Amino acid sequence: MDDLLAEFIAETREMLEASGGEIVAWEADPTDRARIDTIFRFVHTVKGNCGFFDFPRLAKLSHAAEDALADCRAGRREADAALVTAVLAIIDRIAAMVDAIEAGEEFPEGGDEALVAALDVSRETLPEDEPGQVKAGSNPPLHAPADTLLEQTGDSIAPARRAEAAAAQRTIRLPVELLDRVMSGVSDMVLARNDLAHRLRQAGNQPTIDGPFERLTAILTDVRDAITRMRMQRIETLFGVLPRLVRDLSAELGKQVMVDCDGGDVELDREMIETIRDPLTHLIRNAIDHGIEPPSARLAQGKREIGLLAIAARQSGNTIAIVISDDGRGLDEEKIAAKAIATGLITAAERAHMSRDKLLNLIFEPGFSTAETVSNVSGRGVGLDVVRQNLERVGGSIKVTSQPGRGTQFALQIPLTLSIIAGLTVETGGQRFAIPQSYVEEIVQASPAALEFTRMGEAALVTFRGNRIPCLMLAEVLALGEEADAARELTLVLLRLASGDLFALVVDRIHSHGDLVVKPLAPAVMKSGLYAGSTLLDDGQPVLLLDVTSIAAQHDLVSDGRARVLQPLEDETAATADAAPRAMLFTDCGGRRSAVRLELVQRIETTTTAALDRSGGQVRAVIDGVILPLVGLGDTPPPEGKLRLLRLGDGACELLHAVREVEDAVELTGALVAVPEDPLVEALTLVEGQPVALIDAHALFARHGAAPEPLGKRPRCVLPESEWARSILAPLVKAAGYEIVAEADPEAREAVTIMSEDTFEAAEALGRVPAGPVIRLRDHPEERRGAKSIYRYDREALIAALAAARTAGDPRP
Amino acid sequence: MSELLVVIQIAGRRCALSAHDVKSVIELGAVTPVPRTPDFIAGIAALRSQTLTVIDCRRALGLPAAEGPTDDRAAVVASGGHAYALMVDAIEDITTAAGEPGQVPGGFGPEWSRIATGMIETMTGPALLIDLAALIAGPDGQRGEIEAAA
Repeated sequence: MDDLLAEFIAETREMLEASGGEIVAWEADPTDRARIDTIFRFVHTVKGNCGFFDFPRLAKLSHAAEDALADCRAGRREADAALVTAVLAIIDRIAAMVDAIEAGEEFPEGGDEALVAALDVSRETLPEDEPGQVKAGSNPPLHAPADTLLEQTGDSIAPARRAEAAAAQRTIRLPVELLDRVMSGVSDMVLARNDLAHRLRQAGNQPTIDGPFERLTAILTDVRDAITRMRMQRIETLFGVLPRLVRDLSAELGKQVMVDCDGGDVELDREMIETIRDPLTHLIRNAIDHGIEPPSARLAQGKREIGLLAIAARQSGNTIAIVISDDGRGLDEEKIAAKAIATGLITAAERAHMSRDKLLNLIFEPGFSTAETVSNVSGRGVGLDVVRQNLERVGGSIKVTSQPGRGTQFALQIPLTLSIIAGLTVETGGQRFAIPQSYVEEIVQASPAALEFTRMGEAALVTFRGNRIPCLMLAEVLALGEEADAARELTLVLLRLASGDLFALVVDRIHSHGDLVVKPLAPAVMKSGLYAGSTLLDDGQPVLLLDVTSIAAQHDLVSDGRARVLQPLEDETAATADAAPRAMLFTDCGGRRSAVRLELVQRIETTTTAALDRSGGQVRAVIDGVILPLVGLGDTPPPEGKLRLLRLGDGACELLHAVREVEDAVELTGALVAVPEDPLVEALTLVEGQPVALIDAHALFARHGAAPEPLGKRPRCVLPESEWARSILAPLVKAAGYEIVAEADPEAREAVTIMSEDTFEAAEALGRVPAGPVIRLRDHPEERRGAKSIYRYDREALIAALAAARTAGDPRP
Repeated sequence: MSELLVVIQIAGRRCALSAHDVKSVIELGAVTPVPRTPDFIAGIAALRSQTLTVIDCRRALGLPAAEGPTDDRAAVVASGGHAYALMVDAIEDITTAAGEPGQVPGGFGPEWSRIATGMIETMTGPALLIDLAALIAGPDGQRGEIEAAA
């Protein structure tokens, strides 16, 4: 919602600036039709946009101005100086209000009526003297009349506020070509830096040069990031408005539709997003209006009442694939054929020889519309032919596939003139290749046996999460020879196509992943159909970007019609599995950035070092009266004081992981790269460009996990009967993990007993020394006669004694 | 006509490229091979932030690859919006054309005729003027076009 509002403000302000010149020209000649049209469009747009938001005053003002200008356009009224003045006053008021909205302030009440009335006054009485209010003799400046009106309504502060707000957010528009030039300049700079780095390394350590060089590197990285962001926008900004659109449309049409957007993190040119906005909206309207049946019809056909509309975006080199699929009634082949013959697109003879696919794609021909009744929603004379035209204008394409009664899929392909994509670099046959990250579902490293790798004729299959997945060997795809070693571990990259199909690609090694600037390839190379472009690695080495869709198509792994909506029931469970795993990001005690899967994190705890116990190499800590194994402390003893802990649990066992700092919960969208060298690390991944070690929870629990000690098993302690013991000693003992029991309690037999020296002596004399360990306290700091007693305020010694007593009395090994 | 020409050697023959087409002459560093492409594409190489498609000129003519060492320099040319690096036997000189390209009786032989505009007299002797687009299309280029047209 905030995004929408910011867009509204930016758009309004942009139009205000653009119409500035028009306003001046209009003032000079109020009857100029072209100017009236421009300003009419402005107030009309503002009025329209206001409808989305709750700005009744803005709507009212723009509506009044629009009415007046519409009268002029229709010739019902003459535009004159008075009207110009009144309209300008309204435009200024709109500007002031937009500033106030942006600043989040309340715009002063009142005054609107006077402005609106000024419009009507000028209409009815044409008061010739009104411009006379402007200081006589002066060449009337642009805003003088408007300001006069504003002053009349007691609102002279508005311009000042406007200047203030404008300073807060300033934007300029730049030609994209200029950005391209800057971008390639920065790319060249990065390569020059890398070359320099290489030479510096050869020359050995040179402290005087290394410092500034490091700084240069950091600056370059920043600049590159900034430039990259300049052009790109996540397709999310487009997807964000869709749920609302779908909701409104389905409500209007009496249908129930659930929308599922996937791939919102695909980035593309801002310009391109604008270009596909309308086609996409149109296709969605179409799907809801014509595709998805009313709930009763769906139920009658054994479908779920709620229709599913899925929109998925994938990036592949220089193209973005967007698939819009519904599980509605599908396209009616016969109806399309009849219509096409009726409108003369094809002849009956041609029809007889047409494949279903070809026939369906006739719906994009100009002048084609199958809806019998033109509905309010999708039939506004804008047909699918316009959608196709719009896409083709930017070099894109659209295709439709459909199964009767099961659904329709529209597949859009949109090019990117220049694109930066997140890519994964893999190695096969000693050569590196890049794969667009958006396809990568998962990276798996396992033995062929674990994956049930089987050869079925020429094809290969693996079993992963219970599904048989077709598997391609990249070395074979690229004819790089080298027979795969049957015993060796397989590194699989699971790729999901925009059509929803999943397949695995076997590579030798995973290298890294990062942002890649995709460059086009020469036609002779593109002809192979294997590559989508090339990119330069940081060391300046060119790397080929694989065209995943095309490779899959060459191996018949793409099933046009099999979109995700066709398995709605399986999808529900799959959807949760498909969601990016979430993890808790933290800095461990060694300063390394790590993450642990969020499902494992029970709580974040804070404890004191006093609650720690190191016995037998295993550190334990007491949290809420439960003793749990503590890991992650490292070799360095923790600093005295507070300690942050993550409490991890697998359902049965719990353990604590010491952290220096808890950062945030994040989505692990990056690829997980296995790290076989470190058994406690499941994988390395990237979070916001920084490497993060994902803790291997299985190894952790296998090594350290312990079922939590239930409350009843806590060591017990019997305290002396005194106010001091109850109020001062008891909290300390409890913090050390003990349960306080009364002496008479039968459980007290094994308990640690704390008693004063004197009491102990008395008990000893009477032969009634407690069975369990005893900690003797004395009242004076000085030790007496070498007795084993602790001064009652010697905290450290007391805690140590309690810990020692627990180890001694610990029922566990 | 005093067009500037870059004189190169392909398979031991003197050839000429229009200096207008030659963007630069570079030391060819590491070339990344491109699997599953025609063999006259030696691979891709990087020139600053640009990717060059490296063409082995001998193979583009349909001749066997060079046995001896070739020039480690390559001519960078642009064609159809893409940049190519031409691997040649040697890059000799820059010279001036001394006439219009013409044909010789009997032709240059099928491979050479395909990629040559004609013979051109230069200040340093005659050379075969190369048709860049035909050279880059490779030995199968024409056949491919015929197939596409059919």
